[in-house]
Amino acid sequence: MPQIIDAPVDVELSADGDPRAFIWNRFEHTVIGQPQAVFKRTRWWENEGTPTRIDTELWRLDASRGGEEQHRYDLRRGIDGSWTLALDWG
Amino acid sequence: MSNALATSFAHLHVASAYSTHYGVTLPEVLAEQAAAQGANFLAVTDRDGLYGAVKHVRACVAVGIRPGLGAELAVHDEEYRPLGRVVVLAHGNTEGRGYAALCRAVSSAHDGGAGQRSALTPGSTGPSISRSRLADLAGLSSLTVLLGPDSDVGLAIARRDNSDAAARLARWQRALPAQAVVLEIVCHLAESGAVGSVTPATRMLALAENAGLPAVLSNAVRYGTPDEAVTADLADAARFLLPLAELETPQTNGQAWLKPAGAMRQVARMVVDAGLHDDGALERLLRDTEQLADRCTLDPVLDIGLGRPRMPEARIIGVTGDPVTELWRRARSGIADLYSASGSRAVEAAHAQLAHEMKTVEHLGFASYFLTVSRVADIIRGMGIRIQARGSGVGSVLNYALRTSSVEPIGNGLLWERFLSPQRQTLPDIDIDVESARRHDIYREVFRAFGSDRVSLMSMTNAYRGRGAVRDAGLALGLPDAQINVIAKQMWRFNARDFRRALEEKPELEALAAEVRESQQLDLLVDLTAKLDRLPRHISVHPCGVILSDASLLDRTPVQASGMGLPMSQYDKHDMDPMGLIKLDILGVRMQSAMAHAVEEHHRLTGESIDLDRVPLDDAKTFELIRSTRTLGIFQIESPGQMELVGKLQPEVFNDLTVEISLFRPGPMKNNMPLKYLQARHGEVAPDYIHPRFEPILRETNGVVIFHEQVMRLFDELTGCGLGKADVFRRHLDKPEQLPEIEQYVRERALARGFSVAVIDQVWTVLAGFGSFGFAKAHGAAFALPTYQSAWLKTHHPAAFLAGLLTHDPGMWPKDLIVAEARVLGVPVLPLDVQSSALDYRVEDLADGSQGIRLALPELVGSTEAERERIARHQPFGSLQDFRDRVHPRRRTFEALARVGALDTFIGYDRARRHELLAHIQSLRGTAVVIRADQLAFEVELPVPRYSGDRAGAITSLELRGRTQTDLELLDLNLAVSTHQMKRFHALFKELGVTPASELGNLPGGTEVLLAGVRRATNTPPMRGGRRVVFISLDDGTGPVSNVVFFHDAQERVGGQVFQTNYMLVRGRTRRSGARGVSVTGENLWNLFDVARQVKERHAVEHAAAEEVASAAAYAAELAAHPAQFSSHAGGTLHQLNAAQSA
Repeated sequence: MPQIIDAPVDVELSADGDPRAFIWNRFEHTVIGQPQAVFKRTRWWENEGTPTRIDTELWRLDASRGGEEQHRYDLRRGIDGSWTLALDWG
Repeated sequence: MSNALATSFAHLHVASAYSTHYGVTLPEVLAEQAAAQGANFLAVTDRDGLYGAVKHVRACVAVGIRPGLGAELAVHDEEYRPLGRVVVLAHGNTEGRGYAALCRAVSSAHDGGAGQRSALTPGSTGPSISRSRLADLAGLSSLTVLLGPDSDVGLAIARRDNSDAAARLARWQRALPAQAVVLEIVCHLAESGAVGSVTPATRMLALAENAGLPAVLSNAVRYGTPDEAVTADLADAARFLLPLAELETPQTNGQAWLKPAGAMRQVARMVVDAGLHDDGALERLLRDTEQLADRCTLDPVLDIGLGRPRMPEARIIGVTGDPVTELWRRARSGIADLYSASGSRAVEAAHAQLAHEMKTVEHLGFASYFLTVSRVADIIRGMGIRIQARGSGVGSVLNYALRTSSVEPIGNGLLWERFLSPQRQTLPDIDIDVESARRHDIYREVFRAFGSDRVSLMSMTNAYRGRGAVRDAGLALGLPDAQINVIAKQMWRFNARDFRRALEEKPELEALAAEVRESQQLDLLVDLTAKLDRLPRHISVHPCGVILSDASLLDRTPVQASGMGLPMSQYDKHDMDPMGLIKLDILGVRMQSAMAHAVEEHHRLTGESIDLDRVPLDDAKTFELIRSTRTLGIFQIESPGQMELVGKLQPEVFNDLTVEISLFRPGPMKNNMPLKYLQARHGEVAPDYIHPRFEPILRETNGVVIFHEQVMRLFDELTGCGLGKADVFRRHLDKPEQLPEIEQYVRERALARGFSVAVIDQVWTVLAGFGSFGFAKAHGAAFALPTYQSAWLKTHHPAAFLAGLLTHDPGMWPKDLIVAEARVLGVPVLPLDVQSSALDYRVEDLADGSQGIRLALPELVGSTEAERERIARHQPFGSLQDFRDRVHPRRRTFEALARVGALDTFIGYDRARRHELLAHIQSLRGTAVVIRADQLAFEVELPVPRYSGDRAGAITSLELRGRTQTDLELLDLNLAVSTHQMKRFHALFKELGVTPASELGNLPGGTEVLLAGVRRATNTPPMRGGRRVVFISLDDGTGPVSNVVFFHDAQERVGGQVFQTNYMLVRGRTRRSGARGVSVTGENLWNLFDVARQVKERHAVEHAAAEEVASAAAYAAELAAHPAQFSSHAGGTLHQLNAAQSA
């Protein structure tokens, strides 16, 4: 079962624009392999206000803290560029 | 190479906003964005066509990137089975072969076998091209076909059926020339399992590797930036006519934007990483994309032919030798014919002017153009159709000599250089006005004469405006139709993109604004409506544009069927000039049809032929009518504002009409030119010519600069620059950034030419203030001619003229008002009668020697064309049965005819028996006997029973009870013929003290008045100062109309009623304007029906009170007679009596 985290994190990007590492709980988590971006659409017309995006940006990636066992994570990027650690898939 | 790849990505699959209901970004914006992102190539591949192609190519040239063109097309196989959608790209550097093949492919998609296909695959009725046709066109390395996710191959991949995908791909490879097939990888980074995820993309890439075919990366772009994805959602809802919540296949996410190189490379990496691919797959994918872009780079000139005009071949326009020689010959002979009556000096001047014009024509190589236009004019005249050239081409002696134009240019002070000069960069433009009713006949004849491979109709792009935008936004949100209708009705007189501001500012929108504040959904609606505003919505045939070219036309423009069946170019008027396409505006003008009808009617009744083009232009009676401002129905000068201006200006000669028409334009109005001119004309101020050398230029307008031609002459006089250059200056006057340069030039040259600084200062102020305003005198003179001709007809042949107006409905006023005008002019409009009403309005000679106009059959609401034609064909009818059997009308039509009195002939025109007739028709059972056209009438009567005694009242048709003839006419004809519909209110008007429109002119200014009537027109003309003013024209049946103006404060008081109430009572004050003009400044308005009801209620109360008074008085009298008997009640009764009296 994935664990809902929903915490703001700092993300370091590679030159190509992919997340290379993120810092959560003061620990740096290093991304392993090619992360995959996924854009999920919203039913924006059911919400208040006119949206500037119709989808949310999620990055699914494998990362590990130091030498620990790697976990799979979902990172969400907001329209303002801020990052949230959404899920820890274990 | 790899370095370039990092900063630049070539998008090969991009829909612009001209892919209506699909793409949402204009090509100009896309090109700018691509250039800003560092791209050096951009293709536009609109859906089903090249709708945005020319704009795209020009935009690419402007921002300095390489253009590519293609189209996204549906394809089918030999058995009309759909093969999905593919992108067809034209190859460049092929001397136009690739672009021509692309044009032909698009035309083929719109042309072939749609009926057969839709029978086999229900639901797919859009354009589609057969694969074999596509294969033919792709030959000689002309085209590349991209098979992407929407192709049959891509759809098989999406089904995870790799072997089917491979088999289908093999069929494509067999069908198409080698190297024409390329696979297209699209990935929108959607969720796994959804359309646009990495999985099908990576499988597609593997398929390409296995087949040894190149694959390219695209983003199947639908918008420039991610925030425009919302608009694309709206476009989808509008395309499928479904609310967003109910869309089966909404876009998978918002990633179909024009991504920059970095983002596309990121996508490519994810696609490659998601599967097992050969080494170097990533770089190969990007390199193949770049290489295909190189191949598809089109040279705007060599491939597309941008800016290279092509005229029809000489033999097509009936020329065997050199077109220039032929043009000289025809023009010289035209001058000899047309000018010889005016004396040798006029002939000499015309020849000199012709030589001057021909120099430019030869220099620009436009001889064939003039021959082509005059050939078309000849064709139209040969069909016996009225024709009138309009626009700057009227300023040319050449056009006059060729009889393309009928206004003499030299005497009217028109200038050739306003039309054409070596300095003018654009193709000349001649507009031809013809009878509107014959326009389609003309088109067909032009197609026949020139050949359909050289002629096409032009299209026009219809963009979203307020109402359409709010409807489609409302549809997307799933709002109820009724609610949207109410809002849509209020969406006018402002831009939808300013919807929110309009809600804040416009008093009549206050109720809606309050609703919006309360509702989250309506709030969203306001924003979404603004997003749709101005987006291209659909294309349709342009109302007048005909493209004429040589046999290469279909290699240079794609065509599709227009509503009238003739082929229509996918390019619009903005694309004509850049594409070197000659466009002729053949505009249907209803007034020309109305005048032709009047002339025909006159000929039918008298045998006399009127040649309107030879009517003398100085008829005193005609000008008297114009000066009286009774101009209703006259071309150009019938609007309330024009009536007012005509009244002030008091035209005396033809040129006054030209001036009047030119003054009544937004530019001159905003610049207060009418007032300045009128003051000088009526001697209130002395004309100011600034300098004696300007007097010849400005004399005709009393020192006020009105015409473009005057501005050009002023420039020429000041600087000696020549008229061609002067026209360039004139056109630059509205570009503030150009002004300093022009000013400097003018000042230097004018000083050298002997003008003082003070004069230069003064004239420069006038010129700079002129801006682009004003009017070409050529336009004004071309309008003034039909204005004069229609006024002449109204003066001398009112019945025939009004019959023309009623038949062709050319003006701004409803027919009801034309009928009222006829009544005022003593020309009765005769009721509908199946014995004499025709398909158009006919003049009838009446017994008393006067003339009347018979109402036409098409006015009957709900009747069919076939019924009306049968009535007209079989007239007259011997009996009701004869009528029924020959016309076999539908029950509805039959009853309507009876109700409105058109069958009164069968009851001896005894209106009292109409209820018997109607009841009889309603009781008829069984079918009519269909009779051949040449069968003589049966002598069998179908008499209408005549009831008497007890039954006479019993069968009265309920439909007639309590209804006046006017009610019935309004019901079945939408037109009150027998009496004016306001007549029923006249007693009320008298009681309220309403001033009749006919008497308004006798009142002094500042008089408080009540006006009433039915709204005939609403105008919100441009005003100095910018505040909106609403003009309403009211018809009360006594005169033409009374004009009421509501200023801003009154609008706030009145609210939405100013636009919504149609029958109204108005309180206001008179305002005199000039000798004849009077209008009323409105202070308040009420709904006339409300007023009538209140008055009726008051009458009822008064009536009751009066009865009470009467009975109390009787009681009192009795009391007085028998005081003792009633003494105990006396006090109360007297009190009652007093109360009743005071009430």
